[in-house]
Amino acid sequence: MTDASLVNANNAPLAGSGIAVNVGGAFTKADSEAATDRPAGAVDIDKSKIEVKGLNFYYGKFHALHDISMRIPERKVTAFIGPSGCGKSTLLRTFNRIYNLYHGQRASGEILLDGRNILDRREDINRLRARVGMVFQKPTPFPMSIYENIAYGVRLYERLGRVAMDERVEWALRKAALWEEVKDILRQSGGALSGGQQQRLCIARAIAVKPEVILLDEPCSALDPISTLKIEQLIAELKDSYTIAIVTHNMQQAARVSDYTGFMYLGRLIEFNDTETLFTNPGSRQTEDYITGRFG
Amino acid sequence: MSEKMVTGHTMKPFDEEMTALNRVVIQAAAKARDQLAQALHALDEEDIDLARQVIVRDKEIDALELQADDAVLRIIARRQPVAKDLRDLLAVSKIITDIERIGDEARQLARLTVTFYDDDARPPNYRLLIDIHKLGHFVDAMLAKAMRAFAEDEAQLAVEVLRLDVELGEEMKSALRRLSTYLLEDARSVGHVVHTTLGLRGVERIGSHAAYIARHIIFLIEGCDVRHEPLEEVEKAIGGNGGS
Repeated sequence: MTDASLVNANNAPLAGSGIAVNVGGAFTKADSEAATDRPAGAVDIDKSKIEVKGLNFYYGKFHALHDISMRIPERKVTAFIGPSGCGKSTLLRTFNRIYNLYHGQRASGEILLDGRNILDRREDINRLRARVGMVFQKPTPFPMSIYENIAYGVRLYERLGRVAMDERVEWALRKAALWEEVKDILRQSGGALSGGQQQRLCIARAIAVKPEVILLDEPCSALDPISTLKIEQLIAELKDSYTIAIVTHNMQQAARVSDYTGFMYLGRLIEFNDTETLFTNPGSRQTEDYITGRFG
Repeated sequence: MSEKMVTGHTMKPFDEEMTALNRVVIQAAAKARDQLAQALHALDEEDIDLARQVIVRDKEIDALELQADDAVLRIIARRQPVAKDLRDLLAVSKIITDIERIGDEARQLARLTVTFYDDDARPPNYRLLIDIHKLGHFVDAMLAKAMRAFAEDEAQLAVEVLRLDVELGEEMKSALRRLSTYLLEDARSVGHVVHTTLGLRGVERIGSHAAYIARHIIFLIEGCDVRHEPLEEVEKAIGGNGGS
């Protein structure tokens, strides 16, 4: 295992993943209820960044994801919602193969990132994680300065001179809407920042290696409402440049920030739809019951 | 352990609030129907006192409208509803407005009785008013059916209301032709014909409000906005081509 993959596994921010999902055609409510292996929803995606085909995932003998197929559109925000244990974080973790770090976890099927199957054993996993960045639930700044938090990941993939690195750090922090708050304290520890700032630092760290996809696994669950809104605003700005997939337990957050939403239940993708439709007129009864709170 | 689907909302107070809101709407509709019936009865019986009671009682429907709007605002603010719950609230907010307008039209109809019979002027020939009664009962049936569609969550009943609205349009044309004939026969009745025409228009508007209510109910149930769609498109949209 390389240094890069260790960094990704233990600290999260550098790793990324893409995601995504499904499917091509349009499905009706009747279709979805007749054939549960196909998600409900009729989505017209111009261009997908990630395409998932017949994905199954296992934790040892436990079958966690069942035959998931979907497409994740490029430069859009795709949210995954569902009750605890439904497989949404597991799905996210397949997009940068972070599960590879753990014994007994395996995936079958295909996940195509720009047409290349990232599940192929020959795929360069470090390169993959540079292309697919990931931010986790709990802010995970490295025990080093704010500047080094950004620069550390960049050095793993690129050789930059001091000026170029300074520029990259500033660029990433500006992208993450954190520059103005930290530009005078770059040498201070990242751990001294507030929770919301730390999470934006982690996003900056993910962005710094210039990924194509950013995976966010409940990025706001540990944050206060104002910090949450700042992250959401950041997501809205980042989607012009990146494909973003977010797992969230907060359905209002999914409704606020995403363009497309997938509802998962018991390891299956029940519905994948544009967010507006899913939250106003979902195609599946199960989705409707979940998002309206008729679910216990 | 994964969670399972359950019957009813996880937050019981939400279900209770929605049930209470729907009850207010149904109560307002019942009052509006009663107001219409009493206004028609007052006109038929030349009962000025009853007509004045109808005029005063309109405030009860106004109060229910305010109560429903307040509940809608409160539920949206506190519960952040989505999907059918959200459509339910939006539809109810519009339905209660239509019901309040129906109450206003019933009040106007009651004022017609006062206009006709509360002075020394010559009362109208009863034949002039036949169509108001006939169409008044017709639109009452439309409203009753619309509210049944609301209570039973039944889109096909709402479509039937839209079919009745088409029929109402034809009946109105016939009624106006008859009024023209009366006017040709007796030019002195022009004042009564004008008032009767206004009364008929009011009744027709009640039918239109019932049809709007039906369209809101289709949105509530089916999730498709058919407010400005012709009947044929509505039938296609919800697969309701069967006759009533």
